[in-house]
Amino acid sequence: MSDNLSELSGRKGLKYNLFDEMGKRAQDSGTVPSEELDKLAKDFLIGKANTYGTATFYDFLKPENKGKKAYVCNGSACLCAGTQDKVISNLEKQFKPEEIGHMCCLGRCHENAAFHIAGTNYSGQDIDQLDKVLDKNSPAKADSYHVEAHGKAVLTRPFGGMDTHYAKLLKWIEAGRDSVLNEIKESGIRGRGGAGFPMGFKLESCKNEPGETKFIVCNADEGDPGAYSDRYLLEFQPHSVLFGMMMAGFVIGAKTGVLYIRAEYPESIKIVADAIEELNKAGLLGDSVGGTDFSFDFKIIKAQGAYICGEETALLSSIEGQRPEVRVRPPYPTQQGLFNKPTVVNNVETLAALHFILNEGGSAYKKLGTEKSSGTKLISLDSYFNRPGMYEVEMGTPLSTVIDELGQGFKEPVKALHIGGPLGGLVPVDKCAGLNVDFESFAQNGFLLGHASVVSIPATFPIVAYLEHLFEFAAYESCGKCFPCRLGTQRGHEMFQKARTEGYKIDRKLLNDLLDTLQQGSLCAHGGGIPLPVKNAVQYFDDELNEYFA
Amino acid sequence: MTTQPAQISTDLASLNGKAYPIIPGETILSFCRRNLGQDSIPTLCDAPNLDPFGSCRVCSVDVALVENGKTKTMASCHTPVTKGMFIQTDSDSIQDLRKNIIELVLTDHPLDCLTCEVNGNCELQDVAARVGIREVRYPEGKNHLHYEKDKSHPYMTSDFSKCINCYRCVRACDEVQGQFVLSMAGRGFDSHIVKGIDESFFDSDCVSCGACSQACPTSAISDIFQSKSITQAEKTRTICTYCGVGCNLEVSHKNGKILSIQAPYDATANSGHTCLKGRYAFKFYDHPDRLTSPLIKRNGKFEEATWDEAYDFIADKFKQLIKDHGPDSIAGISSARTPNEENYLMQKFMRAVVGTNNIDCCARVCHSPTALGMQRAFGTGAATNSVDDVYLTKCMLVIGANPTDAHPVTGARIKQVAMKGVPLIVIDPRKIELAKYATYHLQLRPGTNVALLNMMLYYIISEGVADQAFVDARCEGYDEFKEHILQLDVDQMEQITGVDKNLVREAALCYATAECAMEFHGLGVTEHTQGTFTVMQIADLAMITGNIGKPGAGVNPLRGQNNVQGAADMGAQPHQGAGYMDVTNPAMNEKYNLFYGKEVPSHVGLKIPEMFDAAIEGKLKSLWLIGEDVVQTDPNTQKVIKALSNLELLVVQELFMTPTAELATVILPGASFLEKSGTFTNGERRVQRVNQVVEPIKGCKSDGQIIVDIMNRMGFEQEDYTAEGVLEEISQIVPFFKGITRENLGVNGLQWPVLTHGVDTQILHQEDFKRGKGKFHYFDFKESNEVEKYEKDYPYIITTNRELEHYNCGAMTRRTGNVEILTEDVLLICQEDATKNGIQDGDMVCVESARGKADIRAKITDEVKPGVLSSTFHFPEIMLNNITSDEHCSEAMCPEYKVVSCRIRKAKNLGARKPGAVQEKV
Repeated sequence: MSDNLSELSGRKGLKYNLFDEMGKRAQDSGTVPSEELDKLAKDFLIGKANTYGTATFYDFLKPENKGKKAYVCNGSACLCAGTQDKVISNLEKQFKPEEIGHMCCLGRCHENAAFHIAGTNYSGQDIDQLDKVLDKNSPAKADSYHVEAHGKAVLTRPFGGMDTHYAKLLKWIEAGRDSVLNEIKESGIRGRGGAGFPMGFKLESCKNEPGETKFIVCNADEGDPGAYSDRYLLEFQPHSVLFGMMMAGFVIGAKTGVLYIRAEYPESIKIVADAIEELNKAGLLGDSVGGTDFSFDFKIIKAQGAYICGEETALLSSIEGQRPEVRVRPPYPTQQGLFNKPTVVNNVETLAALHFILNEGGSAYKKLGTEKSSGTKLISLDSYFNRPGMYEVEMGTPLSTVIDELGQGFKEPVKALHIGGPLGGLVPVDKCAGLNVDFESFAQNGFLLGHASVVSIPATFPIVAYLEHLFEFAAYESCGKCFPCRLGTQRGHEMFQKARTEGYKIDRKLLNDLLDTLQQGSLCAHGGGIPLPVKNAVQYFDDELNEYFA
Repeated sequence: MTTQPAQISTDLASLNGKAYPIIPGETILSFCRRNLGQDSIPTLCDAPNLDPFGSCRVCSVDVALVENGKTKTMASCHTPVTKGMFIQTDSDSIQDLRKNIIELVLTDHPLDCLTCEVNGNCELQDVAARVGIREVRYPEGKNHLHYEKDKSHPYMTSDFSKCINCYRCVRACDEVQGQFVLSMAGRGFDSHIVKGIDESFFDSDCVSCGACSQACPTSAISDIFQSKSITQAEKTRTICTYCGVGCNLEVSHKNGKILSIQAPYDATANSGHTCLKGRYAFKFYDHPDRLTSPLIKRNGKFEEATWDEAYDFIADKFKQLIKDHGPDSIAGISSARTPNEENYLMQKFMRAVVGTNNIDCCARVCHSPTALGMQRAFGTGAATNSVDDVYLTKCMLVIGANPTDAHPVTGARIKQVAMKGVPLIVIDPRKIELAKYATYHLQLRPGTNVALLNMMLYYIISEGVADQAFVDARCEGYDEFKEHILQLDVDQMEQITGVDKNLVREAALCYATAECAMEFHGLGVTEHTQGTFTVMQIADLAMITGNIGKPGAGVNPLRGQNNVQGAADMGAQPHQGAGYMDVTNPAMNEKYNLFYGKEVPSHVGLKIPEMFDAAIEGKLKSLWLIGEDVVQTDPNTQKVIKALSNLELLVVQELFMTPTAELATVILPGASFLEKSGTFTNGERRVQRVNQVVEPIKGCKSDGQIIVDIMNRMGFEQEDYTAEGVLEEISQIVPFFKGITRENLGVNGLQWPVLTHGVDTQILHQEDFKRGKGKFHYFDFKESNEVEKYEKDYPYIITTNRELEHYNCGAMTRRTGNVEILTEDVLLICQEDATKNGIQDGDMVCVESARGKADIRAKITDEVKPGVLSSTFHFPEIMLNNITSDEHCSEAMCPEYKVVSCRIRKAKNLGARKPGAVQEKV
């Protein structure tokens, strides 16, 4: 976090964007050549240590990525599904081991066996047809999964064509910023990225900040292994996301909307870019949208592989080409965000919901869900379900409805569900009955709704191995800024690894101290969140874990 | 970094059960420190001059919003305290948290404290002891202990096995110096500090300011002087001798030896920062080359003499010359490197003892036009504001100054402010470092300042953005001035300056319409034939926009030598005595006569260039020079040599055998700033205490005592030199020193004028100008004679400049590690001109003017435009001043170093460039 770097990067802005340029320059070889780092440093006056520091942070920019040709998903869902050994061994028939890297995760959790080659994702049966995959003339087939709304469809409503979809846009612009804001506040919508912060409040505080230049940023860095609901929205409902950004931007006074989309979702990037082009053709972008005094444009920033960029301040630093290290608050992004300008960062799902809210009314949305958690929530189910896929449920829907009715139960015995991403709670299957899909129910029971992704841990999968995996993920994805997370996640990983493989006995007091330190001391939810599933595991799977403790 | 005082409110927050008033906006950490003491909360990533960062989390505290309510752990360094908070700084859980964090840190830290350089002064060690670590319970895992020490650099060292990833170095490099040499690389546990693209300190773009080393809480980044070692326990605070910024230095010493230097955080002038000259270039002081005995030249050879012999020799000769040729056959050049007290004594010696006004100092060759021009416009020839005002200003204008090299701490401040988005206008023929960060860079042809500033003034008037109210109320001469300006042919000015008039217009409007705009200038303004006029135009600009007498504004010359302001204040100039009183004014002279008890002369004495002319003519018989290597640094070297050689007696008081000293009749070994006491006055009129750190090197004397000794030898009674005593004498004669005593200067000094009760002045001309009304002056641009005469045969213009690593003639810095960083003067030349002349980067080039020639190594750069060259005169091997001219400012006689007509050709190569000769800078 450097105000100077934000300002210097901001001088060139989004047209010649530092981070974008690094991505482009890494396209051919997999890393940014050092002469290019030097050149960019001179262009932006930021010193090559900074361009190098940034490049070395990202999976797809760092020197070690040089020459990688295929990437295997190592997310939790693919791990639990047990599909990846075969993926690797099949890929090794076509690629040298050093040409194979990892990606986490590709959002193909509904069928797993996910991998990525040359800008395209594959999953399910694809690994058995590598010849076809590698045949440049054979077009890649998109994956397909079941999508269903249980009750009112807010996010999964079918797209009604450009004219219908954007019919209310100009009307709302004419109605004015306050009217739009009031409607959003009326809906009671809370952020869907995991924290559940009231959206209206965030928009209002940014609206009240002085400044000519402001930004609305869509956080489409859906990094939680097991989650693919943002991917669904980007690929199937892109115009809801774009509509939401325009309206949110209108409220706060932003002329630019930035979509930060992860590189692991190449299809999403393309589909959103096409949707922006459609919007452009419809005359709804650029100066004076539809003859109003509202001007708006979009910029897509392709992420480069770093889970922490899902954290909003890290994401902003990422767009600026800085190292995406979590910033301290205050200042909040609404006060000093992208390029030091007031900025609102919202999750894809939050923004997509504005289309319903501003078409059907805030009160219609408010009626859905519970008192404190209004609206609907997307839930993504993995391949252990009999009917994996994307489900939209009203907040407050019993979890058992999701598991048994929508997912139609498990294909094989599952002992726990990891809900809400790697930092979410580890819910033993017998605890599912008491949970409803809303922020409060999960929190009260010692879990976390988060982004509501569901990863199933089969009965045969050792919990110790899962904890080792979680700590490995947490350590690998830690930005490294705060001491507890940088050091603690690494030591946690080592403890469980040694316990599983070397007969090391974990001292319960030490583990507790470590978890408390992470939870209490970490700068952001990454280090602060990882203790939750570990504590859940220690509480509910003590029998299984007991042998690893001293 | 800002110095705005914070207001304590009536709102309360509770701290460990007791309520205290809060300051709105302050962090919990600052709230705790203010009320419970500086050490009340342990921290590792916090540093006094850096923004809150929140990485170590050791400063965490428990916060409840109701009494005995549910607490939340928050990092105190970046959480604002708010009304009604209940803060617990040392709850059991907080104590556990701190201990557990430090235990984690120690899993990746070598436990070799006893042999560590910072043993006993390590912040990690302190915090570990405080939280009570007794064991590290984690099994051995991945670590960074294998990192090797970087010893590539003459000063900076790093050993990243000791690094705790607090980012203080990275932040210091960014937030303090703004150099961006350091960053973290990798992520998570693998993250580690890098310099550049994983380079060594020496190969990186490091400017060796040492801010990172001072910021580092362990020994991960340090310096060869081990400045954080506790062996360096004795500390003396003094003022740097290298430029007009006036950095406070904390000098560690032991047994009469200087060990290292750090920058105190509480110093107003430099807020914990300084540059490589201030921090590291001190080893000249006991260099074997130091002169340690008076020397008298007999039969062309220097012979050691006792002080008595030397004094007698000098005094006898002076007496005889006065008798034979009158007092005006003697002249003195005082030193702007030495304290006020010594300058005062030197001018007093010349005026009251010898009886001549032939006294001058190096201000003649740098800022004499500033003093004169500002006196004519405002009445006072000194900076109107303080450097700290950059934190308040809304627009900065830098003209003919390269502060990141010549005034590094001020340069760093300007750069920081520019990087925060405050518009910066740079007027300079070179694309200096600040120009890269500037909103507008007006890259004019050298020597055309007057034309360019007239263009700016034209647009301000013609676009109607002048501050008419200020002009009407505070100024005079505006109508006539306006009439001249509006008659200007801007297109012609555009041709002359080579700067797009639209760009000039935009810059002028930016400056004029800012709520407050602050001007800085350097020798690129003064060292011209129209130097004084340019200064007066700058005054015009400030007055016409109302940028005088208020915060964040003003005309602020960046004074070159550390005490050049003071030397002039003390009367080391031929037309004004101590306190700027006119020597030709009988009433003033009467004051001096009474005070000195001796009749002082009432006709203006010789300026430095006139002294040389008089020496050549045989009228001047003797010159006493203190700490000034005129042969190397004054223009037209051969003429200077001729002048000095023609004298009957040349007394040179020096630290080293310089090219000037070689020509002396008598050499007196003086003392460096580290060996004496007094006061320096920095570029913002801040009079600061210089405190002796060590005794003068054996055989040397403080320059003040030398002058006193000679005064007495000449029959004038003057008490032995003490800093207090002479300052007291000064305060009785210099009006604006009236309220100054050595004691009340305190640690941060006082800005003159200082009233009787010690109240100083941050901003001049707040109500009225010193001269009453501010006066507008108009000047036509006039091409320099140099160009008019020689353009045809010498088509290039070389403009001289300074490099960060060296100071002036380099007599001091070339005797330090700086010479390993920058080994020689280089010639900056653009690719186009290089190609045209068959010159490649690193080739030796012969630069020839009508006076002489010099061979210099070429450095191809985009810093200069075609037709313009630039170089320095830090190295006697090059003697660049062989080519500079006699042209000088028509008013102040400041030489025109900045415009020298020359031609170039490839010279015989002297082999490859020495390593490290040229440092690429970001």
